[in-house]
Amino acid sequence: MSEENKEIGILGQLFRTFFSKHWPVWVGGITLGILNILLFTIKSPWGASGGINNWGENFFRMFGSSTFEGATPINASFYGMLCVVIVIGSFIGALFSKEFALRIPPKGELIKGFIGGGLMAIGATIGLGCTIGSFFSGIPALSGGAIIFTIGLFVGVIIALKYLMWEMEKFPKFSSGKSYIFLAASEKKGNWQKWLGWITLIIFLAIAYVYSGYNPVMAWFVIIGLLMGLICQRSRFCIVKAFRDPFMTGEADGSVGVMAGLVIGLIGFTAIKYFGIGVGDVSIRAREMTWVFPHFWLRGLIGGFIFGLGMTVAGGCAVGTLWRVGEGQIKLWAAALGFLIISPLSKLYIVPAITEMMPYNMKFKNYLPDYFGYAGAFAIVIGIILIWYVFVKWNEKTGKFSAY
Amino acid sequence: METKIDQTLDCKGLSCPMPMMKLAKAMKGLKSGQVLEMIGTDPGTNSDLPKWCEKSGNTLIEKKELDGGITSFIIQKK
Repeated sequence: MSEENKEIGILGQLFRTFFSKHWPVWVGGITLGILNILLFTIKSPWGASGGINNWGENFFRMFGSSTFEGATPINASFYGMLCVVIVIGSFIGALFSKEFALRIPPKGELIKGFIGGGLMAIGATIGLGCTIGSFFSGIPALSGGAIIFTIGLFVGVIIALKYLMWEMEKFPKFSSGKSYIFLAASEKKGNWQKWLGWITLIIFLAIAYVYSGYNPVMAWFVIIGLLMGLICQRSRFCIVKAFRDPFMTGEADGSVGVMAGLVIGLIGFTAIKYFGIGVGDVSIRAREMTWVFPHFWLRGLIGGFIFGLGMTVAGGCAVGTLWRVGEGQIKLWAAALGFLIISPLSKLYIVPAITEMMPYNMKFKNYLPDYFGYAGAFAIVIGIILIWYVFVKWNEKTGKFSAY
Repeated sequence: METKIDQTLDCKGLSCPMPMMKLAKAMKGLKSGQVLEMIGTDPGTNSDLPKWCEKSGNTLIEKKELDGGITSFIIQKK
Protein backbone atom coordinates (compact mmCIF):
# COMPACT_ATOMS: atom_id res chain seq x y z
CA MET A 1 0.00 0.00 0.00
CA SER A 2 2.64 2.50 1.07
CA GLU A 3 4.42 1.84 -2.21
CA GLU A 4 1.37 2.86 -4.27
CA ASN A 5 0.52 5.95 -2.29
CA LYS A 6 4.03 7.27 -2.33
CA GLU A 7 4.19 10.86 -3.52
CA ILE A 8 5.54 11.12 -7.07
CA GLY A 9 8.63 13.33 -7.19
CA ILE A 10 9.29 16.14 -9.64
CA LEU A 11 11.23 13.88 -11.99
CA GLY A 12 8.55 11.22 -11.71
CA GLN A 13 5.97 13.76 -12.82
CA LEU A 14 8.17 14.73 -15.74
CA PHE A 15 8.40 11.07 -16.73
CA ARG A 16 4.60 10.80 -16.53
CA THR A 17 4.16 13.82 -18.77
CA PHE A 18 5.82 11.88 -21.55
CA PHE A 19 4.82 8.32 -20.87
CA SER A 20 1.40 8.13 -19.24
CA LYS A 21 -0.66 9.18 -22.27
CA HIS A 22 -0.29 9.26 -26.03
CA TRP A 23 0.84 12.59 -27.43
CA PRO A 24 -1.29 14.47 -29.95
CA VAL A 25 -0.19 13.52 -33.46
CA TRP A 26 0.68 17.13 -34.33
CA VAL A 27 3.22 17.20 -31.49
CA GLY A 28 4.83 14.19 -33.14
CA GLY A 29 4.63 15.84 -36.57
CA ILE A 30 6.29 19.05 -35.46
CA THR A 31 9.08 17.40 -33.47
CA LEU A 32 9.78 14.93 -36.29
CA GLY A 33 9.85 17.85 -38.73
CA ILE A 34 12.48 19.59 -36.58
CA LEU A 35 14.60 16.44 -36.28
CA ASN A 36 14.30 15.98 -40.04
CA ILE A 37 15.77 19.47 -40.55
CA LEU A 38 18.56 18.56 -38.13
CA LEU A 39 19.35 15.40 -40.12
CA PHE A 40 19.52 17.47 -43.30
CA THR A 41 21.85 20.06 -41.77
CA ILE A 42 24.32 17.42 -40.62
CA LYS A 43 24.00 15.19 -43.69
CA SER A 44 20.81 14.47 -45.62
CA PRO A 45 17.08 14.21 -44.81
CA TRP A 46 15.14 11.36 -43.24
CA GLY A 47 14.49 8.22 -45.27
CA ALA A 48 13.41 4.71 -44.37
CA SER A 49 13.13 2.42 -47.39
CA GLY A 50 16.84 2.70 -48.24
CA GLY A 51 17.74 1.58 -44.73
CA ILE A 52 15.43 -1.44 -44.90
CA ASN A 53 16.92 -2.28 -48.30
CA ASN A 54 20.33 -2.22 -46.61
CA TRP A 55 19.03 -4.71 -44.03
CA GLY A 56 17.84 -6.91 -46.89
CA GLU A 57 21.20 -6.85 -48.67
CA ASN A 58 22.90 -7.84 -45.42
CA PHE A 59 20.30 -10.56 -44.91
CA PHE A 60 21.19 -12.13 -48.27
CA ARG A 61 24.90 -11.65 -47.65
CA MET A 62 24.54 -13.49 -44.34
CA PHE A 63 23.25 -16.49 -46.27
CA GLY A 64 26.29 -16.36 -48.52
CA SER A 65 24.83 -14.65 -51.57
CA SER A 66 27.73 -13.43 -53.71
CA THR A 67 25.55 -10.80 -55.41
CA PHE A 68 25.39 -8.83 -52.19
CA GLU A 69 28.99 -9.32 -51.09
CA GLY A 70 29.62 -5.61 -51.51
CA ALA A 71 26.71 -4.55 -49.29
CA THR A 72 27.53 -1.91 -46.67
CA PRO A 73 27.37 -3.50 -43.22
CA ILE A 74 24.39 -2.17 -41.26
CA ASN A 75 26.58 -0.59 -38.58
CA ALA A 76 28.38 1.45 -41.25
CA SER A 77 25.28 2.45 -43.22
CA PHE A 78 23.75 5.75 -42.01
CA TYR A 79 20.25 4.84 -43.08
CA GLY A 80 20.48 1.16 -42.18
CA MET A 81 21.50 2.23 -38.70
CA LEU A 82 18.83 4.95 -38.57
CA CYS A 83 16.19 2.28 -39.16
CA VAL A 84 17.66 0.09 -36.40
CA VAL A 85 17.59 2.88 -33.85
CA ILE A 86 14.05 3.91 -34.83
CA VAL A 87 12.96 0.39 -33.84
CA ILE A 88 14.96 0.71 -30.63
CA GLY A 89 13.59 4.19 -29.85
CA SER A 90 10.06 2.91 -30.24
CA PHE A 91 10.91 -0.13 -28.11
CA ILE A 92 12.11 2.21 -25.36
CA GLY A 93 8.99 4.40 -25.70
CA ALA A 94 6.73 1.34 -25.47
CA LEU A 95 8.63 -0.03 -22.45
CA PHE A 96 8.56 3.31 -20.60
CA SER A 97 4.80 3.52 -21.07
CA LYS A 98 4.34 -0.22 -20.42
CA GLU A 99 2.73 -0.65 -23.84
CA PHE A 100 5.17 -3.27 -25.03
CA ALA A 101 3.83 -6.77 -25.64
CA LEU A 102 4.35 -9.43 -28.27
CA ARG A 103 1.02 -9.38 -30.06
CA ILE A 104 0.62 -12.31 -32.41
CA PRO A 105 -2.37 -11.82 -34.72
CA PRO A 106 -4.42 -14.46 -36.55
CA LYS A 107 -2.60 -16.16 -39.44
CA GLY A 108 -4.38 -14.22 -42.18
CA GLU A 109 -3.06 -10.98 -40.74
CA LEU A 110 0.51 -12.29 -40.78
CA ILE A 111 0.14 -13.16 -44.45
CA LYS A 112 -1.22 -9.69 -45.19
CA GLY A 113 1.69 -8.19 -43.28
CA PHE A 114 4.22 -10.07 -45.38
CA ILE A 115 2.48 -9.29 -48.68
CA GLY A 116 2.04 -5.64 -47.69
CA GLY A 117 5.73 -5.43 -46.84
CA GLY A 118 6.66 -6.99 -50.19
CA LEU A 119 4.44 -4.55 -52.09
CA MET A 120 5.99 -1.65 -50.20
CA ALA A 121 9.44 -2.91 -51.21
CA ILE A 122 8.44 -3.07 -54.88
CA GLY A 123 6.81 0.37 -54.69
CA ALA A 124 9.79 1.92 -52.94
CA THR A 125 12.35 0.50 -55.35
CA ILE A 126 10.39 1.51 -58.46
CA GLY A 127 9.28 4.86 -57.05
CA LEU A 128 12.64 5.68 -55.46
CA GLY A 129 11.50 6.27 -51.92
CA CYS A 130 8.79 5.63 -49.43
CA THR A 131 6.36 7.77 -47.48
CA ILE A 132 9.37 9.32 -45.77
CA GLY A 133 11.95 9.87 -48.54
CA SER A 134 9.46 10.74 -51.25
CA PHE A 135 6.80 12.34 -49.10
CA PHE A 136 7.62 13.49 -45.58
CA SER A 137 11.10 14.61 -46.74
CA GLY A 138 10.54 14.74 -50.52
CA ILE A 139 7.75 17.33 -50.47
CA PRO A 140 9.68 19.73 -48.18
CA ALA A 141 12.67 19.12 -50.50
CA LEU A 142 10.60 20.87 -53.22
CA SER A 143 10.68 17.80 -55.45
CA GLY A 144 8.06 17.65 -58.18
CA GLY A 145 8.43 13.87 -58.29
CA ALA A 146 7.46 13.64 -54.62
CA ILE A 147 4.15 15.35 -55.37
CA ILE A 148 3.43 12.80 -58.10
CA PHE A 149 4.54 9.95 -55.81
CA THR A 150 2.03 11.27 -53.25
CA ILE A 151 -0.79 11.21 -55.79
CA GLY A 152 0.07 7.57 -56.50
CA LEU A 153 0.03 6.87 -52.76
CA PHE A 154 -3.47 8.29 -52.42
CA VAL A 155 -4.86 6.14 -55.19
CA GLY A 156 -3.16 3.02 -53.79
CA VAL A 157 -4.45 3.68 -50.28
CA ILE A 158 -8.05 4.18 -51.42
CA ILE A 159 -8.06 0.99 -53.48
CA ALA A 160 -6.42 -1.09 -50.75
CA LEU A 161 -8.86 0.26 -48.17
CA LYS A 162 -11.74 -0.82 -50.41
CA TYR A 163 -10.09 -4.23 -50.58
CA LEU A 164 -9.76 -4.48 -46.79
CA MET A 165 -13.42 -3.61 -46.36
CA TRP A 166 -14.43 -6.14 -48.98
CA GLU A 167 -12.28 -8.80 -47.32
CA MET A 168 -13.82 -8.06 -43.93
CA GLU A 169 -17.33 -8.49 -45.39
CA LYS A 170 -16.68 -11.59 -47.48
CA PHE A 171 -13.89 -13.34 -45.61
CA PRO A 172 -14.17 -12.28 -41.96
CA LYS A 173 -12.27 -15.44 -41.00
CA PHE A 174 -9.13 -14.03 -42.58
CA SER A 175 -8.75 -11.41 -39.88
CA SER A 176 -10.05 -13.42 -36.95
CA GLY A 177 -8.98 -16.57 -35.19
CA LYS A 178 -6.41 -17.50 -32.63
CA SER A 179 -4.18 -14.73 -31.34
CA TYR A 180 -1.59 -14.68 -28.61
CA ILE A 181 -0.23 -11.98 -26.34
CA PHE A 182 3.02 -12.35 -24.43
CA LEU A 183 4.95 -10.22 -21.94
CA ALA A 184 2.17 -7.64 -21.53
CA ALA A 185 2.21 -5.31 -18.53
CA SER A 186 -0.65 -3.60 -16.79
CA GLU A 187 -0.98 -0.61 -14.48
CA LYS A 188 0.18 -2.55 -11.45
CA LYS A 189 2.21 -5.31 -13.04
CA GLY A 190 5.18 -5.40 -15.34
CA ASN A 191 7.50 -2.75 -13.93
CA TRP A 192 10.35 -4.72 -15.48
CA GLN A 193 9.40 -2.95 -18.71
CA LYS A 194 10.53 0.41 -17.35
CA TRP A 195 13.81 -1.07 -16.15
CA LEU A 196 14.47 -2.73 -19.48
CA GLY A 197 13.69 0.61 -21.14
CA TRP A 198 16.39 2.34 -19.10
CA ILE A 199 18.93 -0.40 -19.76
CA THR A 200 18.27 -0.27 -23.51
CA LEU A 201 18.50 3.52 -23.53
CA ILE A 202 21.84 3.48 -21.71
CA ILE A 203 23.27 0.83 -24.05
CA PHE A 204 22.35 2.82 -27.15
CA LEU A 205 23.61 6.10 -25.72
CA ALA A 206 26.88 4.28 -25.10
CA ILE A 207 26.87 3.11 -28.73
CA ALA A 208 26.36 6.73 -29.86
CA TYR A 209 29.28 7.71 -27.64
CA VAL A 210 31.53 5.08 -29.19
CA TYR A 211 30.60 6.30 -32.69
CA SER A 212 31.34 9.90 -31.70
CA GLY A 213 35.04 9.03 -31.54
CA TYR A 214 35.41 8.14 -35.23
CA ASN A 215 32.10 8.85 -36.96
CA PRO A 216 30.37 11.84 -35.36
CA VAL A 217 27.66 12.00 -38.06
CA MET A 218 26.66 8.43 -37.18
CA ALA A 219 26.61 9.32 -33.48
CA TRP A 220 24.05 12.01 -34.30
CA PHE A 221 22.07 9.66 -36.53
CA VAL A 222 21.84 7.22 -33.61
CA ILE A 223 20.61 9.86 -31.18
CA ILE A 224 18.16 11.44 -33.63
CA GLY A 225 16.86 8.01 -34.70
CA LEU A 226 16.24 6.98 -31.09
CA LEU A 227 14.25 10.18 -30.57
CA MET A 228 12.35 9.67 -33.82
CA GLY A 229 11.34 6.13 -32.87
CA LEU A 230 10.27 7.24 -29.43
CA ILE A 231 8.28 10.20 -30.79
CA CYS A 232 6.57 8.01 -33.41
CA GLN A 233 5.54 5.48 -30.79
CA ARG A 234 4.27 8.06 -28.28
CA SER A 235 2.34 10.12 -30.84
CA ARG A 236 1.38 7.07 -32.94
CA PHE A 237 2.66 8.97 -35.96
CA CYS A 238 1.34 7.02 -38.89
CA ILE A 239 1.37 8.12 -42.49
CA VAL A 240 -1.03 5.36 -43.55
CA LYS A 241 -3.48 6.78 -41.04
CA ALA A 242 -3.00 10.28 -42.46
CA PHE A 243 -3.96 9.09 -45.93
CA ARG A 244 -6.50 6.44 -44.99
CA ASP A 245 -8.60 7.70 -42.09
CA PRO A 246 -10.42 10.47 -43.97
CA PHE A 247 -11.77 7.71 -46.23
CA MET A 248 -12.41 5.30 -43.34
CA THR A 249 -13.71 6.88 -40.13
CA GLY A 250 -13.34 10.47 -41.32
CA GLU A 251 -10.81 11.22 -38.59
CA ALA A 252 -8.53 14.12 -39.58
CA ASP A 253 -6.13 14.37 -36.61
CA GLY A 254 -3.63 11.98 -38.16
CA SER A 255 -3.56 13.93 -41.43
CA VAL A 256 -3.18 17.29 -39.68
CA GLY A 257 -0.29 15.93 -37.61
CA VAL A 258 1.56 14.87 -40.73
CA MET A 259 0.86 18.23 -42.39
CA ALA A 260 2.34 20.02 -39.36
CA GLY A 261 5.56 18.07 -39.89
CA LEU A 262 5.54 18.81 -43.62
CA VAL A 263 5.22 22.56 -43.07
CA ILE A 264 8.02 22.64 -40.47
CA GLY A 265 10.22 20.54 -42.74
CA LEU A 266 9.38 22.75 -45.73
CA ILE A 267 10.52 25.91 -43.95
CA GLY A 268 13.79 24.33 -42.82
CA PHE A 269 14.59 22.50 -46.06
CA THR A 270 13.91 25.57 -48.19
CA ALA A 271 16.33 27.63 -46.09
CA ILE A 272 18.99 24.88 -46.21
CA LYS A 273 18.71 24.63 -49.99
CA TYR A 274 18.43 28.35 -50.58
CA PHE A 275 21.58 29.16 -48.62
CA GLY A 276 23.40 25.89 -49.33
CA ILE A 277 23.73 25.20 -45.60
CA GLY A 278 25.95 22.23 -44.78
CA VAL A 279 27.18 22.06 -48.37
CA GLY A 280 30.56 20.54 -47.41
CA ASP A 281 32.56 19.22 -50.37
CA VAL A 282 29.68 18.98 -52.84
CA SER A 283 28.48 21.73 -55.16
CA ILE A 284 25.68 24.12 -54.20
CA ARG A 285 23.65 22.53 -57.00
CA ALA A 286 24.10 19.05 -55.52
CA ARG A 287 22.96 20.38 -52.14
CA GLU A 288 19.87 21.89 -53.80
CA MET A 289 19.06 18.61 -55.51
CA THR A 290 19.26 16.57 -52.28
CA TRP A 291 16.24 14.23 -52.02
CA VAL A 292 15.06 15.20 -55.52
CA PHE A 293 14.90 11.80 -57.17
CA PRO A 294 14.72 10.94 -60.89
CA HIS A 295 11.14 9.67 -60.74
CA PHE A 296 9.10 12.47 -62.30
CA TRP A 297 6.48 11.52 -63.25
CA LEU A 298 5.55 7.97 -64.31
CA ARG A 299 8.19 6.23 -62.20
CA GLY A 300 6.99 8.07 -59.09
CA LEU A 301 3.34 7.51 -59.91
CA ILE A 302 3.66 3.73 -60.32
CA GLY A 303 5.94 3.40 -57.32
CA GLY A 304 3.69 5.52 -55.11
CA PHE A 305 0.63 3.54 -56.16
CA ILE A 306 2.16 0.15 -55.34
CA PHE A 307 3.60 1.50 -52.10
CA GLY A 308 0.17 2.87 -51.14
CA LEU A 309 -1.41 -0.54 -51.69
CA GLY A 310 1.26 -2.24 -49.62
CA MET A 311 1.27 0.09 -46.65
CA THR A 312 -2.50 -0.05 -46.30
CA VAL A 313 -2.61 -3.84 -46.39
CA ALA A 314 0.31 -4.05 -43.94
CA GLY A 315 -1.09 -1.34 -41.66
CA GLY A 316 2.07 0.74 -41.56
CA CYS A 317 4.36 2.49 -44.03
CA ALA A 318 8.10 1.92 -43.87
CA VAL A 319 8.59 3.90 -40.67
CA GLY A 320 5.16 2.96 -39.32
CA THR A 321 6.26 -0.64 -39.71
CA LEU A 322 9.56 0.03 -37.94
CA TRP A 323 8.09 1.63 -34.86
CA ARG A 324 5.37 -1.01 -34.56
CA VAL A 325 8.10 -3.65 -34.74
CA GLY A 326 9.60 -1.97 -31.67
CA GLU A 327 6.24 -2.07 -29.91
CA GLY A 328 5.95 -5.83 -30.45
CA GLN A 329 3.24 -6.03 -33.17
CA ILE A 330 4.07 -9.29 -34.93
CA LYS A 331 2.01 -8.44 -38.02
CA LEU A 332 4.48 -5.65 -38.70
CA TRP A 333 7.40 -8.00 -38.04
CA ALA A 334 6.03 -9.96 -40.98
CA ALA A 335 5.76 -6.72 -42.98
CA ALA A 336 9.38 -5.77 -42.18
CA LEU A 337 10.51 -9.25 -43.21
CA GLY A 338 8.58 -9.05 -46.49
CA PHE A 339 10.04 -5.59 -47.12
CA LEU A 340 13.66 -6.51 -46.47
CA ILE A 341 13.55 -9.76 -48.45
CA ILE A 342 11.74 -8.37 -51.48
CA SER A 343 13.53 -5.01 -51.66
CA PRO A 344 16.97 -6.16 -52.93
CA LEU A 345 15.30 -8.69 -55.26
CA SER A 346 12.98 -6.04 -56.69
CA LYS A 347 15.93 -3.72 -57.25
CA LEU A 348 17.75 -6.47 -59.08
CA TYR A 349 14.98 -8.01 -61.20
CA ILE A 350 11.78 -5.92 -61.26
CA VAL A 351 13.04 -2.33 -61.41
CA PRO A 352 15.29 -2.69 -64.48
CA ALA A 353 12.50 -4.43 -66.42
CA ILE A 354 10.09 -1.59 -65.74
CA THR A 355 12.30 1.47 -65.89
CA GLU A 356 14.29 0.54 -68.97
CA MET A 357 11.14 0.80 -71.03
CA MET A 358 10.46 4.32 -69.76
CA PRO A 359 11.78 7.24 -71.78
CA TYR A 360 13.87 9.82 -69.92
CA ASN A 361 11.06 12.36 -69.74
CA MET A 362 9.07 9.98 -67.54
CA LYS A 363 11.82 9.54 -64.94
CA PHE A 364 13.80 12.71 -64.44
CA LYS A 365 14.65 14.93 -61.50
CA ASN A 366 12.06 17.65 -61.29
CA TYR A 367 13.14 20.43 -58.95
CA LEU A 368 10.27 22.86 -58.52
CA PRO A 369 12.39 26.02 -57.98
CA ASP A 370 13.93 25.45 -61.45
CA TYR A 371 10.52 26.23 -62.90
CA PHE A 372 8.86 28.53 -60.38
CA GLY A 373 11.72 30.03 -58.35
CA TYR A 374 12.04 29.45 -54.63
CA ALA A 375 9.12 31.68 -53.66
CA GLY A 376 6.85 30.11 -56.27
CA ALA A 377 7.80 26.54 -55.33
CA PHE A 378 7.30 27.29 -51.65
CA ALA A 379 3.89 28.81 -52.33
CA ILE A 380 2.82 25.84 -54.48
CA VAL A 381 3.71 23.32 -51.78
CA ILE A 382 2.01 25.36 -49.03
CA GLY A 383 -1.02 25.69 -51.32
CA ILE A 384 -1.24 21.91 -51.83
CA ILE A 385 -0.97 21.25 -48.10
CA LEU A 386 -3.66 23.86 -47.45
CA ILE A 387 -6.04 22.26 -49.97
CA TRP A 388 -5.46 18.88 -48.34
CA TYR A 389 -6.13 20.44 -44.92
CA VAL A 390 -9.39 22.01 -46.04
CA PHE A 391 -10.46 18.72 -47.61
CA VAL A 392 -9.84 16.54 -44.53
CA LYS A 393 -11.44 19.07 -42.16
CA TRP A 394 -14.48 19.53 -44.37
CA ASN A 395 -14.77 15.77 -44.80
CA GLU A 396 -14.44 15.26 -41.03
CA LYS A 397 -17.53 17.44 -40.55
CA THR A 398 -19.62 16.20 -43.42
CA GLY A 399 -18.38 12.59 -43.71
CA LYS A 400 -18.85 12.84 -47.50
CA PHE A 401 -15.92 10.58 -48.34
CA SER A 402 -15.88 8.41 -45.20
CA ALA A 403 -16.93 4.81 -45.28
CA TYR A 404 -18.19 4.71 -41.68
CA MET B 1 -23.74 -1.39 -11.92
CA GLU B 2 -23.77 -4.13 -14.54
CA THR B 3 -24.42 -3.13 -18.11
CA LYS B 4 -26.19 -5.64 -20.30
CA ILE B 5 -23.98 -6.46 -23.25
CA ASP B 6 -25.68 -7.25 -26.55
CA GLN B 7 -22.63 -8.17 -28.56
CA THR B 8 -18.96 -8.88 -27.95
CA LEU B 9 -16.29 -8.12 -30.50
CA ASP B 10 -12.91 -9.80 -30.16
CA CYS B 11 -10.05 -7.78 -31.66
CA LYS B 12 -7.22 -9.35 -29.70
CA GLY B 13 -3.93 -9.46 -31.57
CA LEU B 14 -5.17 -7.21 -34.36
CA SER B 15 -3.37 -4.00 -35.23
CA CYS B 16 -4.53 -0.75 -36.80
CA PRO B 17 -6.79 -0.39 -38.81
CA MET B 18 -8.55 -3.74 -38.26
CA PRO B 19 -9.96 -3.05 -34.75
CA MET B 20 -11.55 0.25 -35.76
CA MET B 21 -12.88 -1.17 -39.04
CA LYS B 22 -14.43 -4.15 -37.28
CA LEU B 23 -15.87 -1.89 -34.58
CA ALA B 24 -17.42 0.54 -37.06
CA LYS B 25 -18.95 -2.35 -38.96
CA ALA B 26 -20.29 -4.07 -35.83
CA MET B 27 -21.82 -0.83 -34.53
CA LYS B 28 -23.69 -0.43 -37.81
CA GLY B 29 -25.47 -3.70 -37.10
CA LEU B 30 -26.72 -2.63 -33.67
CA LYS B 31 -29.97 -0.88 -32.79
CA SER B 32 -30.01 2.42 -30.95
CA GLY B 33 -29.34 1.95 -27.24
CA GLN B 34 -27.74 -1.47 -27.64
CA VAL B 35 -24.37 -2.09 -26.04
CA LEU B 36 -21.23 -3.62 -27.51
CA GLU B 37 -18.12 -4.77 -25.71
CA MET B 38 -14.91 -4.71 -27.68
CA ILE B 39 -11.78 -6.33 -26.36
CA GLY B 40 -8.46 -5.59 -27.99
CA THR B 41 -4.72 -5.32 -27.51
CA ASP B 42 -3.63 -2.56 -29.90
CA PRO B 43 -2.42 0.48 -27.93
CA GLY B 44 -3.61 2.65 -30.84
CA THR B 45 -7.23 1.79 -30.02
CA ASN B 46 -6.85 3.59 -26.67
CA SER B 47 -6.74 6.93 -28.42
CA ASP B 48 -8.64 6.11 -31.64
CA LEU B 49 -11.74 4.63 -30.07
CA PRO B 50 -12.75 7.47 -27.71
CA LYS B 51 -12.15 9.98 -30.52
CA TRP B 52 -14.33 7.97 -32.90
CA CYS B 53 -17.10 7.67 -30.30
CA GLU B 54 -17.07 11.40 -29.74
CA LYS B 55 -17.29 12.04 -33.45
CA SER B 56 -19.90 9.40 -34.25
CA GLY B 57 -22.08 10.24 -31.24
CA ASN B 58 -21.87 6.78 -29.67
CA THR B 59 -21.18 6.68 -25.94
CA LEU B 60 -18.09 5.08 -24.45
CA ILE B 61 -19.58 3.80 -21.19
CA GLU B 62 -16.54 2.12 -19.76
CA LYS B 63 -12.92 1.37 -20.52
CA LYS B 64 -11.08 -1.07 -18.32
CA GLU B 65 -7.79 -2.87 -18.36
CA LEU B 66 -8.08 -6.63 -18.09
CA ASP B 67 -5.16 -8.94 -17.36
CA GLY B 68 -2.55 -9.73 -19.96
CA GLY B 69 -2.49 -6.43 -21.83
CA ILE B 70 -6.12 -6.66 -22.92
CA THR B 71 -8.40 -3.63 -22.81
CA SER B 72 -12.17 -3.78 -22.77
CA PHE B 73 -14.35 -0.99 -24.14
CA ILE B 74 -18.09 -0.85 -23.56
CA ILE B 75 -19.91 1.30 -26.07
CA GLN B 76 -23.56 2.22 -26.40
CA LYS B 77 -24.96 2.94 -29.81
CA LYS B 78 -26.51 6.36 -30.37
